[in-house]
Amino acid sequence: MRMIDKVYNILLDLEIKNKSGVSAIEISKKLDLDRSTISRYLNLLYKDKKINKMDGRPVLYKSIKNNTVIPFTTKTSNISNSLDKLAGAKQSLSIPIEKAKAAIIYPPKGLHTLLLGETGVGKSLFAEQMYEYAKDVDVLDDNAPFIRFNCADYANNPSLLTAQIFGVKRGAFTGADSDKEGLLKQADNGVLFLDEIHRLTPEGQEMLFTYIDKGFFRPLGETAKNIYVNVRIIAATTEDPDSYLLQTFSRRIPMVIRLPSLSERSLEERYFLIESFIREESRRIGKSIYINRNSIISFLLYDCPNNIGQLKSDIQLSCAKAFLNYKANINNYLIINQGDIPNHVRKGLLYLNEYRNEVNELLSSTYDVLKYSEIEEPPLRLIHEEENISEDFYNIIENKIDSLKISGMDESDINEILNIDIESHFQKYIGEISERYKKEEINKVVSTSVLNLVEEILILAQKNLNIDYDERIYFGLSFHLERSIERIKNGEKIYNPKLNFIRINYEDEFIFAMKIAKLIDRKFGIETPVDEIGYLAMFFSSEYFRDRKEEKPKIKIIVAMHGRTTASSMVEVVNTLIGTEFVVALDMPLSMKPQIMYEITKNCVQEIHRGRGIILMVDMGSLTNFGHMITEETGIEVRTVDMVSTLMVLDIARKAFMGYAIDEIFDPIIMSHGSYVKNPRKENVILAACFTGDGLAKGIEDLVVNRINSKNIRIITMNIVDEIKPEDRILQMENRYNILAIISAVDIHVGLIPFISAIDIFSKGGEEILDDIIAESEMYDKIWDSLKDHLKYLNSDLIIKDLKYLLNGIEKKLNFRIGKDVKMGIALHICFMIDNLLSGEKTREFENLENFKSIYSNEVNIVRKEFMILKDNYEVEISDNEIAYIVKLFIENNICV
Amino acid sequence: MYNILLVCSAGMSTSLLVTKMQNAAKDKGIEANINAIAESDLKNSTEGVDVLLLGPQVRYMLSKVRTLMEPKGVPVDVINSVDYGTMNGTKVLDQAISLISGK
Repeated sequence: MRMIDKVYNILLDLEIKNKSGVSAIEISKKLDLDRSTISRYLNLLYKDKKINKMDGRPVLYKSIKNNTVIPFTTKTSNISNSLDKLAGAKQSLSIPIEKAKAAIIYPPKGLHTLLLGETGVGKSLFAEQMYEYAKDVDVLDDNAPFIRFNCADYANNPSLLTAQIFGVKRGAFTGADSDKEGLLKQADNGVLFLDEIHRLTPEGQEMLFTYIDKGFFRPLGETAKNIYVNVRIIAATTEDPDSYLLQTFSRRIPMVIRLPSLSERSLEERYFLIESFIREESRRIGKSIYINRNSIISFLLYDCPNNIGQLKSDIQLSCAKAFLNYKANINNYLIINQGDIPNHVRKGLLYLNEYRNEVNELLSSTYDVLKYSEIEEPPLRLIHEEENISEDFYNIIENKIDSLKISGMDESDINEILNIDIESHFQKYIGEISERYKKEEINKVVSTSVLNLVEEILILAQKNLNIDYDERIYFGLSFHLERSIERIKNGEKIYNPKLNFIRINYEDEFIFAMKIAKLIDRKFGIETPVDEIGYLAMFFSSEYFRDRKEEKPKIKIIVAMHGRTTASSMVEVVNTLIGTEFVVALDMPLSMKPQIMYEITKNCVQEIHRGRGIILMVDMGSLTNFGHMITEETGIEVRTVDMVSTLMVLDIARKAFMGYAIDEIFDPIIMSHGSYVKNPRKENVILAACFTGDGLAKGIEDLVVNRINSKNIRIITMNIVDEIKPEDRILQMENRYNILAIISAVDIHVGLIPFISAIDIFSKGGEEILDDIIAESEMYDKIWDSLKDHLKYLNSDLIIKDLKYLLNGIEKKLNFRIGKDVKMGIALHICFMIDNLLSGEKTREFENLENFKSIYSNEVNIVRKEFMILKDNYEVEISDNEIAYIVKLFIENNICV
Repeated sequence: MYNILLVCSAGMSTSLLVTKMQNAAKDKGIEANINAIAESDLKNSTEGVDVLLLGPQVRYMLSKVRTLMEPKGVPVDVINSVDYGTMNGTKVLDQAISLISGK
């Protein structure tokens, strides 16, 4: 005899004595097998519909005598009735439940009901519970039948389907060789649950409606006799209630109840569902099931289109996997980890940010692992973190480890679990502390020696790791060190489960933490263990502290002026008025060489820059050019304001101190300050450079002057042996001149200024290049002359220079060649386009823009990128529509094949 | 009465030139109907035109437009780029009239 049959037989034996049912323990005693094994067999029997089980502690089982129909003979022992036990009874199901109750008790015979809802929302369960409720309130007898029939089962045999429900008279159709009672008759004085009712044939529908309206029906083939029954129909369907079919149904069936989909239910409801399913599995397996927090979150949040049914089977699958690991002795206890849950479920964790607050509220944000057991209820919240954040961090970890050990987990698993949220906990711990304590108060809790040490550490950290730390880390680290030093002194153990992770991922911080540890050891005469060094590294590594800075760094201001004390006395006044040492003064005694002052200024800029730019306020002379040069050399945005006054410095410093952006500060100065009126038109020059400025450069000059005749282009010769690099000087010159080309024996490349090597210029090809440059310059000059009065919003002087670079840049990048006259046309097109855009006019739409963009995506990308300069310089949005026109002009006019 | 049509890309840059040409025509006492259109509108706008001038940036259309228009006796050419760049209405008007009378 198979064991399962033995269990069944024992149950039948015991049932005679215990009319209320038999528990697993009773059977296990009889068979001398452990209870969980028996539970498993009982569950199998239950699944096979051989026995029934009754809720309660302990769970009692009863055999089912009649196997053909499944009457629910369970007697509910609970105070609250069946419907109210459904998850979400007080929330999303409250209205459906009210309606269901009304349908059951509606006099005299209740109302037939149509249940609507997506696949898996729990329509069957709901129907069963309606039946249970009907018994609870004595509308139905305790032994009233509940018959379930799925219309889809016979969907491809319509006459058989109808016959199943209504019965058939012998000879009604081929194969009907005897009278057969239908389910409707079998369900008399009970409930007939017809699932997937939309599969019913029109004929079957009509018969059903006849019963609903008149209370009788005729079996197939029966012509004379009406059969009267008293059956409550509960029909269910997944169909859209607006479909034609369902409109008929909902018109004929008086009570329509729509059950919400899983996504319409609250997280709390979903949690209860998960909980009850896991507990069910626990009961099935006969063992407690642990589940880690992330897995619970995944189940709470994953996209579950097939609703509760899917949720349940996904949970069952996960439990089965975990059970496998447990059986294979991979785990000593049955725990569901992320690895056990299906991939699509795991993705639920990705939504955590969206629902973090709700989830934390639901899971109390306090425990790592949940335990569900068939015995214990409510679920044991295994590991509690103290809410009191001022509690010793180590104690929290230690308590966790202890409680996990008590529950029988081994060390590697404990680490795994602790890893789950140690980082977030750590950050929370630090973050909350800083909010709770003001700096003045910290001294009351942390000793001065520790505070001094922390200050020292933070200065070192800034130097070594090149990171600014804010107040929160100051607080956090102070608290942390106060306790850890105490702990080390007392010889208590420090344990860091993330140590290896930190070592690997935050190498720099870890090395730095080791240095710090030495410092601490020396100061306090202790020996910092490596686990503690790991914690220290976490302080310096945590992105958290950098990201959440409340205040953005500010723009820094430097005042540099001629004279021994001019700048510093002006700055002194300003800083006194602002109330903080905010502005930096650089004095330039008259004896100081500009080059030295430049270096001083540059170093100062680099030192104080905090990513938002520098405003350099100067009086006159060479100082006015420093800003540009420093930007070019260091990449730091430096804006210069010249001819400054104390009032100006005060105004700008105040704004910078309040966190204004550089443009916000700068614009009003240009407006109100005379020295920033629009530059007059710049002189066209060609630079000829050689080492001395007298040799080769002079030769070049002679040659070029001949070529350019009387045109308004001047040649400037320059030496390239100077303390300031020629590139910097040329940049400086760009403020005053429109530099057409650089001709030199040595390569000098500045921005997009064309460079011609001195050797080339004396050959034929070089002359042509030069001629081109000159002709181009003349062309643009002409455009400028003609446009200056006609562009409404655009400063034509600026745009011409930009256009020249822009068009040449595009030509180069696309590897195209465009005729000079065409280029002129394109230049004009762009001028007017930008002017139009600035005046708010729309460019007409490019035909088949998307199509064009996909064919010429490469060209569009290149042109779009080149236009970034214009976009920035003129603060104008240039859309793909505009870009497409320009790309087209380039493509169509390309003469280089 | 001359009917002069200018063509450019997206109708961006020719409208100013039209104004300048109209002024030049007025000064010279020449009756002229001068219009500017975008390249994409060309097909529907050539009715009754005496001369068609292209902006230098749409030079690529020249041969296409010529084969289209010259059988109808309408001369087509590209505007001199210096005149175009300098928005020289007088010179472009001269160019248009000489094209018409040269046919």
